[in-house]
Parts: sequence; C-alpha cells; structure tokens
Amino acid sequence: MKEERLAKYPSNLLKPLKSFKFKRNQIYIFITLLVIIAFGTVPFYIDVDASFFAYYLFLSFCYIVLAQGWNLVAGYTGQISLGSHAFFALGAYTTAIIWLNDVTKTWYYFDPLVMVLSGIVPAIFAIIIGIPLLSRLRGDYFAFGTLAAAEVLRVLIFRGGDFTRGASGLRLPSASFVSMEPYYWTGFVLAIFATAAVYLITKSRIGLALKALSEDETSAASHGIHILQYKVLAFAIGAFVIGTVGSLYAYYLFIINPTAVMNLNWLFLPILICILGGNGTIIGPIIGAFFVAALFSYADVYLVQTHPMLSGILIILIMKFMPTGIMGLKERKWFRR
Amino acid sequence: MGDLGLIAQAFVNGIFFGTTYGIAAIGLSLIFGTMRIVFIAQGAVIVLFAYLCYWLFTLLGIDPYLSLIPITLFSLLLGAAFYYGLFKEAAALKDRIGSLLIAVGVMFFLENFMTVVWSPNPRGVVTSYAFYAFSLFGTNLTLTRLIGLLLAVLATFGVFIFLRRTLIGTAVRATSEDVEASTLMGISPNRVNAVAFAIGIGLAGIAGVNLATTYSFDPVYGFTFALMALIALALGGLGNVIGALLGGIILGLLQSLGSYLIGTMWADAICFGLFLLVLTFRPQGLFGRPT
Amino acid sequence: MANQLLEVKGLDVFYGDAQALWDVSIHVEEEAIVALVGANGAGKTTLLKTISGLILPRRGEILLSGESLTDLSPQEIVDRGIIHVPEGRRLFSDLTVLENLKLGAYVPRARPFFAESLERVFSLFPLLKNRKDQKAGSLSGGEQQMLAIGRAMMAQPKLLMLDEPSLGLGPILVKTIFELISTLHKQKTTILLVEQNVNQALKIAQQAYVLKTGKILMSGRGEELLVNEEIRKTYIGERGIKR
Repeated sequence: MKEERLAKYPSNLLKPLKSFKFKRNQIYIFITLLVIIAFGTVPFYIDVDASFFAYYLFLSFCYIVLAQGWNLVAGYTGQISLGSHAFFALGAYTTAIIWLNDVTKTWYYFDPLVMVLSGIVPAIFAIIIGIPLLSRLRGDYFAFGTLAAAEVLRVLIFRGGDFTRGASGLRLPSASFVSMEPYYWTGFVLAIFATAAVYLITKSRIGLALKALSEDETSAASHGIHILQYKVLAFAIGAFVIGTVGSLYAYYLFIINPTAVMNLNWLFLPILICILGGNGTIIGPIIGAFFVAALFSYADVYLVQTHPMLSGILIILIMKFMPTGIMGLKERKWFRR
Repeated sequence: MGDLGLIAQAFVNGIFFGTTYGIAAIGLSLIFGTMRIVFIAQGAVIVLFAYLCYWLFTLLGIDPYLSLIPITLFSLLLGAAFYYGLFKEAAALKDRIGSLLIAVGVMFFLENFMTVVWSPNPRGVVTSYAFYAFSLFGTNLTLTRLIGLLLAVLATFGVFIFLRRTLIGTAVRATSEDVEASTLMGISPNRVNAVAFAIGIGLAGIAGVNLATTYSFDPVYGFTFALMALIALALGGLGNVIGALLGGIILGLLQSLGSYLIGTMWADAICFGLFLLVLTFRPQGLFGRPT
Repeated sequence: MANQLLEVKGLDVFYGDAQALWDVSIHVEEEAIVALVGANGAGKTTLLKTISGLILPRRGEILLSGESLTDLSPQEIVDRGIIHVPEGRRLFSDLTVLENLKLGAYVPRARPFFAESLERVFSLFPLLKNRKDQKAGSLSGGEQQMLAIGRAMMAQPKLLMLDEPSLGLGPILVKTIFELISTLHKQKTTILLVEQNVNQALKIAQQAYVLKTGKILMSGRGEELLVNEEIRKTYIGERGIKR
C-alpha cells in the first residue's frame, strides 16, 4: 500500500538547516565558535599526556569523524552500510604501508598528504563496490552486500603477503611517540573537518537533491544515471572521511592488523553513535560520539572484563526503548498489529 | 588414488558441514520470512549451544546426543523468549534497522559472554566413540559426522512436515507471504512470530550439538558461521525449507573443496563473492520463486 | 425495523499527519447489502481497514451489535464475525486452495464448523472443489476471486466486507460475481460492498453511501441513488456503463 511505505529512517539523519531566522543563525555560529575555542585550547590548561579526560576527548573526536562518515552514506544513499570497518582498515593500512615503504618520504607523523591518501584508497574501494551494489541492491540486501565485500577485503588483507603481513600485521615504530598533543590536535581538526564537510554537502544543491531523491525513488528514477553518480559519490566521500580517522588511529595504535583495525567494533560504533545521538541533525552524531566515548572509555578502565558485553546490552537497550525515534513512533500510531 | 581420496574426503566433509549450515539457514529463513528480521546472531547462538553441550558433557558426563533433548527444549523456549523479550516491538515496525541492530547486540553480548565464561580457547566434545569411522571408497566417514548429517536431515524433514501438515505451520507460511492478509484471517502475528523464532532457535540448538561433536569451536566463530548461514539462505532462496538445506550443502561443498584446492581463506573469499553475485543477480536464490 | 448490525459513528482516520476520513458515519442493517462507492482514493479501503482493525481511528466509534470494536485487535474483530476480503484478493499464492480455505476457518469461532463450512463453500463454488490441491497462485483471476470469497465464508461471517470484488475481471465474470453476492445475500449474509462498478453495486444494494475525498457525500437507498442525476453523471456515465 502506498501509505505504508518503508520508513527510510536514515534519510532523516540529515535535515537541511534551511529555515533559519537570522538571529538564531547568529547564536548558533557564536556557540559553535565558543565550543571550538574551548576544545581547541584544552591542551593549554590540561596536561594532555597525563589526563584521562584528554584521552576521552581524543576518542570522542575520532568517533565523531567515524560517525559523520557513516552518517553521510546512510543519509544520502538512504541505505545502511555495514562496511565502515573496511574503510577504516583501508585507511589504517594505507598509512602504515606508506610509512613502511617510505612512499612519500615523510619523516613525521600526521602528514596531511598521507592522511589524504589514506582517505582516497577507501574512497576508491567504495567506488569499486559502490557502483554494482548501489545500482542494484536495496535495504537489507545492500547492507549484506557491503558486509560481504568487507569480508572479501579481510581475506585480501590476510593473504596480502609481505605487503600487509597477514594476521600479525604491520608495525609503525612506537619510538616516535612523543606526546599525546599532536594526536589531540589532529583528532580535533579532523572532527571539525568532517562535520564541516557533511554540513556543507547538506546545504549544497547536490545534497538537497540527493535527500529528496532518497525519500522518493520513483520520481528520481526518471533522472536515471545521475542518481547513481551522486549515491556513489556520497558513498566514496563517506569512505574517505572514515579512512582519515583510520589513518589517525594507525598512528595511535602502531600495530595494524585485522584484529585491531577491522574488528566489528568499527562496524557498529558509527551506527550506534548516530542512532543514539538522534536523527535529523548534524549535531546528533557529535552528541552520540561524546556519549559513547564516555561509556567505552569508562568501561575500558573500570570494567575491563565485562566491557565488551556492554556494547551488546547497550544496543539492545537503545533499540528497545528508543528505537527509531520520531519516525518509528509515528508509524506505530496508525498501523497497528 | 591418494589425491582422489583427498578430494572425495573433502567432498564428504563438505556435505556434512553443509547440512549444518543448512539447518542454520532454515532457522534464519523462518525468522526472516515471518518477521523480515535478519537474525545475524544465529551463529553466536549456535556456538552458545555448542558450549552448553560441552558443559553438559564435561561437567555432568551427559552424552551429547542425549543432551539434545534438554538442549532442544531449552532452545525452543529461548527462541520464544527472544521474540517476546527482544524482537516483538521491532518486528511490528516498518523500519528494519532496529531489529538488525538488536540482533547485532545479541551477537556481541553472546560472543563476549562466552569469552568470559569459557575463555577464548577452542573447545570440542570428544566422546569415547568419537573416532569410530567407516571407510567408504577410500574416504573416512566418522560416526559423529554421520549422526550429525542424520540429525540435520531429520530436523529439516521435521520442519517441513510441521509447515505443511499443521494448521499453525500453514499459518506461518501464510504470514511469511502476506502479513496483512493473514491478520485478516484472524491469525495472531505474535503467535506465529514466536513459533517461527522458537523453531529457528531450536534448529540452532541442533546445529550447536552437531558443531560440538564434529569440530572445535571458539566464542568468535559465531559471526563467520552466521555469515555462512546467510549465504546458504541466499543460495537456497527464501520460503523454501528444502532449498535452504540444499543451499547449505552447496556452500559446504564449495568451502570444503575450495579449501582443499586453494586454501581456506581464498575459499571463504569465493563464498563471499558468490554471495555478492547471488544477491545482485538472483536474489530469489537458486531454488526460490522469483518475487 | 431490522437491527443495525454495524454502526460507524463520526470516524476520523489519519495516516500519520494526513487525514483520510472526516467524520464518517454509516450503518449496516442485518441481512442487508450496503454499498460504498466512490472514486479511487476516496477512502473506501481506509474505512474497511479501520473497521477490520488494521488501522486505529483517531476519533469516532465502531459498534457491532452494540459492542464497541475500537479497542479490539484485528484477530478479535475477525473472531466477532467481521470478515474483510481485501482489495486484490490477497490470497496466499504459494498455498493450495484447500490450505487457503483452512486458514479461512482459523479463528476459534469458526474452527469447530470447518467441515460444514467447507461443504457449503464447495457447493457454492464447485470449481474450487476440483482445484482444491492446486496452488492458489495458479488460478485464473475469476477463480481467485471465488477463492477469496470462499475463504471468507469459511469464517462464518456475520458481516462480510468485500473490497472491489469485480476488479480486473471481464464482464461475464463480473456478472457472476454479482450474482454470487446476491446468492449470499439470500442466504442471510450481511454484506458491506465497496465497488468502483457503481452501476452494478447500486442495483443490488438496499442502502448505499457515496464517499468523496474522505467524506460521505450522500447516502440513501440503492435504487434512489441509481437514478440520481449527479451520481449518474459522475460515476455511471450516460449509458449506464461503468466509468
């Protein structure tokens, strides 16, 4: 029945901030600047290396980037991607491979060129799998398609010979670790970058068009090939964003192997964050990221043994009691079983 | 003859393991058919039952095939509990992501629960008769694998009969096809869903016992197993009990022969690749009806 | 005179934020045929779905022999004897004719009378008896419609609600269907008939309602509305042919 359409939940994750009054707009800009300054100056009054709070903030920034990247895909293709761990891993491995093979002749970490390249590789992967998957698959099928593609990648990594060193993985020299400060800054900048990128795309004409298209595919169908291009573009940009934080994490972890950078945590974390943070805004993933980072860093310290079980229980609780937000409740009201 | 013997062995192993994939896939099919929920935790649940079987064996000395009785009973109850406790509301919503995530949550919880309780080390159930084997055309047919095969086929048959010959089974098939129409017949979706879930998990229980007696397993094996069950389901097509079993067998053969010829990992990659192909070009599976 | 079997009072129904029905009220007398006509999208199916419990109204009441239905689940409503044959039949195509019929008698109220109902249905529709082990999806359009109605009859309906039974059928089959409805009426079944074939519907109905964009435009006896100028122009066309 036409009234009982599938609720395209993720498409509500990104509402264009169109109808704004001038004053409200100004206040938001002011608050944003304040927040940026606040976070940006943290290292000046807190010893970043000793402070757990700083580590927590660093983790939050990473989660923000991860979530915004996933959010972009979910919002603009209207489909759930279960492949973030693949993009993340590709970003991490690219960085490690570039460093170990001295490709860019950089001698320091956080080289922007390296990070950009680490974003491009996942983006290329996204384009390769995106074209067939996005043009033919919907909903569950698409989600499992991305999952299967990620698993194929996993095999490729395991069997990548000297290039990826299989299960034991690659090692970056940990002696280069001097201080948490550059990590904090880079994470911070990336978080701003990712959020700004998503915001700008939302407001651009392409973004608005895509969003309208993702809600009503039939009218979009007449535009044919263009939809696919934009969807793949969104998929690739999302992959790029996730790749950059993968790169950052590689610098942080030093050991890059499938267990560390391609485990399922990196798959479900962005989804959890976006859903927890709430639909319809760009702020949502940010709030969600802070919350989830708090939970996980706390649990990592105090509940090490049982901490992983937390993630499972957390998802269940959220989905049971705050399932799909406003859209879900609306649906329930008039279609009862 | 050596090489041929090895291939034959791989062939036989593939069938044995494939039937276990098959019944896992049937469980998935029932749950997805009625509720459109992809129960990705199926693999973790199977491993859980494998551990329970292991526990009953090592702590209480209960033979694994005897423990089938309490395990199957428990699994049926657990399935109903899963539905009423976790999935009932999500099943009614149009949005599929909620139920998918709850299933993911269950999977994570179970995997880590098992790691904590039983440690990450692999386990297996080795009975006194575990090494009895028959020799057939140069292949080794171990008793436990034969029994496993028999159990899987019996279970499939049982579900098949249930769906065709009982009223509630017919109601399950009807609901899988058209929920709204079945509601208009006075069929309660909750009851049907609960039955589907119960049977789905019941099959997982049997698969768990099979797993425990024929291979070694560890807590994180569940995810891979679930993926395999999903691929088997995709191959077999929805709404087709026999098809799901056949899908499982085909997959088992592919994996087993592939492992022998090109190594485990590449064989797995081919399975995933096949999955992608089927999803893209033949979503109704090899045996399903075109939608 | 006769009792009101079904009373719908002041129904307001929404799909999300969009209102589909405005203050809709109808009555269905026992043993009568009541027709509900109107253009596509007027809200006829919505009304039926609300009565059968698939949709919750925001305001208004639905009474079956005085008992309120609005708090009941669809299953309970079916158990009270309100059987809704949906638009497009919605048979279970993978199941056989017999299995479809079995499910028709699924509710506790109807199950004890399964054998009896089956005989009755087979005598009404001999062709179904011939095809009882065939898959429902393999039947022709007309046969499927028979099966849909037969399936509904298995539940021993107090009120039979038919949503566009003549849809997609050729003229001969349409005639057969309406003859069938008359037969059922003679067998004392109360029928609420939603139809786009306004001419035929008004011919056999004792009472009729015209629905337009979610509101009751007019109501009256079937034969009155049949000769009504406006109705003839809008829904029937000059020569009495369905528009």
